[in-house]
Amino acid sequence: MNREAAYAAALSGLPGMGPASLARILESHDPAGAWRAVLDGRIERPARARRAGPGQLSLTGAQAPAVRPWSVAARGVDPLSWWEPLEQAGVRVTWRGRPDYPAALVHDPEPPGVLFWMGDLSVLDRPCVAVVGTRNATPDGLAVAFELGRDLAAAGLCVVSGLALGIDGAAHRGCLHARSHGASGPPAGVAASGVDVPYPRRHRALWQQVVAAGVVISENLPGRPAQAWRFPSRNRVIAGLARLVVVVESHACGGSLITAEAALERGVEVRVVPGPVRSPASAGSNQLLYDGPGPVRNARDVLDALGLVLPDAPARTRPPAAGGVCPPGAALSGAGPSDGADTGGPDRSGVAVGVKVAPGPAGRPDPAVTGTVPAGGPDPAGRAILDALGRRPATVGAIMARTGLEAGAVARSLDRLSADGLVAENGGWWARI
Amino acid sequence: MLAMVHSATLAGVAGQPITVEVHVSTGLPSFTIVGLPDASCRESRDRVRAAILSSGLKWPQKRVTVNLAPSGVRKGGSGLDLPIAVAVLIADGQLPASATDGLAFIGELGLDGSLRPVPGVLPLVHALGDRAPVLPPASAAEARLLEGPEARCASTLATMVGALLGRRRWAAPPPPSGTAAVPGGPDLRDVRGQPLGRLAVEVAAAGSHHLLMVGPPGAGKTMLAERLPGLLPALTPAEALEVARIHSAAGLPLALREGMRRPPFRAPHHSASPVSLVGGGGSQMRPGELSCAHRGVLFLDELGEFPADVLDALRQPLEEGQVLVCRARASVMFPARVLLVAAMNPCPCGSEGGPGSCRCRETVRSRYGARVSGPLLDRFDLRIHVGRPDVSELMGGPAGGEPAGESSAEVAVRVEAARERARQRGVAANGDIPGRLLDRLAPLDPPARRLLEIRVRQGALSGRGLHRVRRVARTIADLGGWDGPVRESDVFSALALREPVVPGGIGPAGGGPDPAEVAIRQGAR
Repeated sequence: MNREAAYAAALSGLPGMGPASLARILESHDPAGAWRAVLDGRIERPARARRAGPGQLSLTGAQAPAVRPWSVAARGVDPLSWWEPLEQAGVRVTWRGRPDYPAALVHDPEPPGVLFWMGDLSVLDRPCVAVVGTRNATPDGLAVAFELGRDLAAAGLCVVSGLALGIDGAAHRGCLHARSHGASGPPAGVAASGVDVPYPRRHRALWQQVVAAGVVISENLPGRPAQAWRFPSRNRVIAGLARLVVVVESHACGGSLITAEAALERGVEVRVVPGPVRSPASAGSNQLLYDGPGPVRNARDVLDALGLVLPDAPARTRPPAAGGVCPPGAALSGAGPSDGADTGGPDRSGVAVGVKVAPGPAGRPDPAVTGTVPAGGPDPAGRAILDALGRRPATVGAIMARTGLEAGAVARSLDRLSADGLVAENGGWWARI
Repeated sequence: MLAMVHSATLAGVAGQPITVEVHVSTGLPSFTIVGLPDASCRESRDRVRAAILSSGLKWPQKRVTVNLAPSGVRKGGSGLDLPIAVAVLIADGQLPASATDGLAFIGELGLDGSLRPVPGVLPLVHALGDRAPVLPPASAAEARLLEGPEARCASTLATMVGALLGRRRWAAPPPPSGTAAVPGGPDLRDVRGQPLGRLAVEVAAAGSHHLLMVGPPGAGKTMLAERLPGLLPALTPAEALEVARIHSAAGLPLALREGMRRPPFRAPHHSASPVSLVGGGGSQMRPGELSCAHRGVLFLDELGEFPADVLDALRQPLEEGQVLVCRARASVMFPARVLLVAAMNPCPCGSEGGPGSCRCRETVRSRYGARVSGPLLDRFDLRIHVGRPDVSELMGGPAGGEPAGESSAEVAVRVEAARERARQRGVAANGDIPGRLLDRLAPLDPPARRLLEIRVRQGALSGRGLHRVRRVARTIADLGGWDGPVRESDVFSALALREPVVPGGIGPAGGGPDPAEVAIRQGAR
């Protein structure tokens, strides 16, 4: 067991211990020494915090009512026996001054004193892009977040988000999706609860997948529940980690605006995905957009904003597919057939390749989601359906009306086109991909 | 002195014969009714007395006791007014008992002595057997739908007594006044575009498959549903009478003559209570809308707005084709063999419903979809999106001047032929094929079997969904005039008629998709 870690973790759990105090203490003491100093009363709680903060050291997350000095709170607590099961469960901790402390946070104006994490903290060494947004997202917003997560991961970037419902989750899922297809970009989740307390519970599985593929970090003590007041400070960590923050959808007073604010304070670039002007889910993000930060439409725009260079050779050599069907990879750039993507120019190529500046394995081209173009192309019925289908999804009934084909023929063709990766269905609505 | 007069009361959609016994004896003047009368029945005391006095007849200033036999059965309704009055007159000696031989009496009395119609005349008269009914004029018109002894008719108590005494003739029943014979009804020809919707109503009519249509307001869901009864085969005389009896019991105006043969179409508003839909209420146990739509179409518009308990009350009757409504005092079996057609919007905002087209939040959408419970959704063999037609379709086809679609009559011919094929297989409609007989009655050819196996393995079809697709595919084959094993093309058509329609509700596999899963499927393009 890492004794230093146990003491550092326990110090962070002292009542009223803030990031600044902790950083100050750990600058002058090693964790075990600091703990002894606390017990001896040589390090004491600042007067202000003693008045305002909650009481006893509580390693379980429950708060004791009384306001007590640290020396009293720390008495009777054995950091080692408390930490051991947590460490066995995969919880790790780092603090400022440690070599594994994320470099992006070292010079942050409000750096977390300690960071608990599960997974692989080194993924934060990659360039990080935060994708944040509302929990009450529209399907459009979810799809955009998913695509951003997927395509940024395909480009080898680390996708940072908050593991929440809605946009956050969709971004993580997109990233995981790309990884399952061989992309190297890892997900990083910043939690407002303890790293071992999946919140929301609906995201338990997602949480575990993010831990397995990347990292989940939190500055809150393990076991702490998610509480409303923890979210703004969680958002500042997201902003601090990221080289660029993308706001996908935000309601008028959404938490993602706090993330954007924090990012602007830190000089981190903020970009906004424009939403329909009448959509309440985009009210906040559109306001933000109006206030200054530029728009992004897709991962390509994000990469442009970061000044990352894409190798363009593979895309150039890809031949346009038969029947005017764009290569599936082009969908990654968000460019559809209606955009004339079948010209196959370099600016239309997918982001399905690695970014040169990304360290480590992303230096080489990163195979992303790839489809196969069918040999010989679609049959006449299939071609008629593709002609009738646009980027806007349509139902089978509408396809029948536009093509004059019978229900069975349409279903058969859609089945084949879908197997060939040319169309996709969502809730009975079909669209070209 | 004692008198006995025959009548009948309603229990659900069936009449039950009642004997009205009246005993008039010396003693303090009084008037009591025994034999489980309900409130409306007990009130007849005052009506009967007033009607007799207003008609210039005498009220016996004696002790009058009325017994309604069998006395263990609850009697309701005002139809016993007339038999009670007649029995009182006989018991008082104002009418000879022989004057009512072979007759039975049904009717409500006004205080002025007029005879008023009562609901449920058809089942009531049916219960009388070979006794000739004496009825108010409006009821007599209805009773002519039945074969049997001809109904006598009188408009007031006084004229009726005159006729019974032989002093005057019975009045002629008025001509039938119901909603007689509207030729045609809405025609499928009026529906522009909607090829899938047209196919769906045709298949629904041919195989008796329940149909759920999801689409934005104004897309034509109601239009399609209203045309469904016109595609169903006309009711046989026996079925027509069965339906008329239910409608009569429910107090609905009856369709007469040819109109009677048309399958009923009932579209209750979504504020309906469970009892109003399923039946019950009061001692008479009125049939609900479900039974009123027996052998026809029950159309539930705005399915998502119906209270959940109302919808869940429909589940078992839909499966059984009848509903046993039980109360402490009585249990009544109502027939409920309906073709259920439901329509709903894709989401509360009423937008087109395509991914990303609506302003509703995912949570709102999934909550809206979840209002229709999985088990009810499972009853719908056919689930389609009905979108607003393109402008060109409304204006007459993509090329302009395209001929209108087929008329109801043309489609009805195919429907009848398909039903005939099903009958030859021994089922009324393919929707009724039991799962265990599917392999015998609706075998699959090898490509069709392979296709379905793939779908099941992908999780796109549950076991139950598989059965439903097979039944629908059988119907589609029948409509195409194909008697052999179900072909792959039939299965494809059946699959096209089973779209995942309900946002956040159960999909074909039976599990509610997480909103994020939806995003994944969409994002994965």
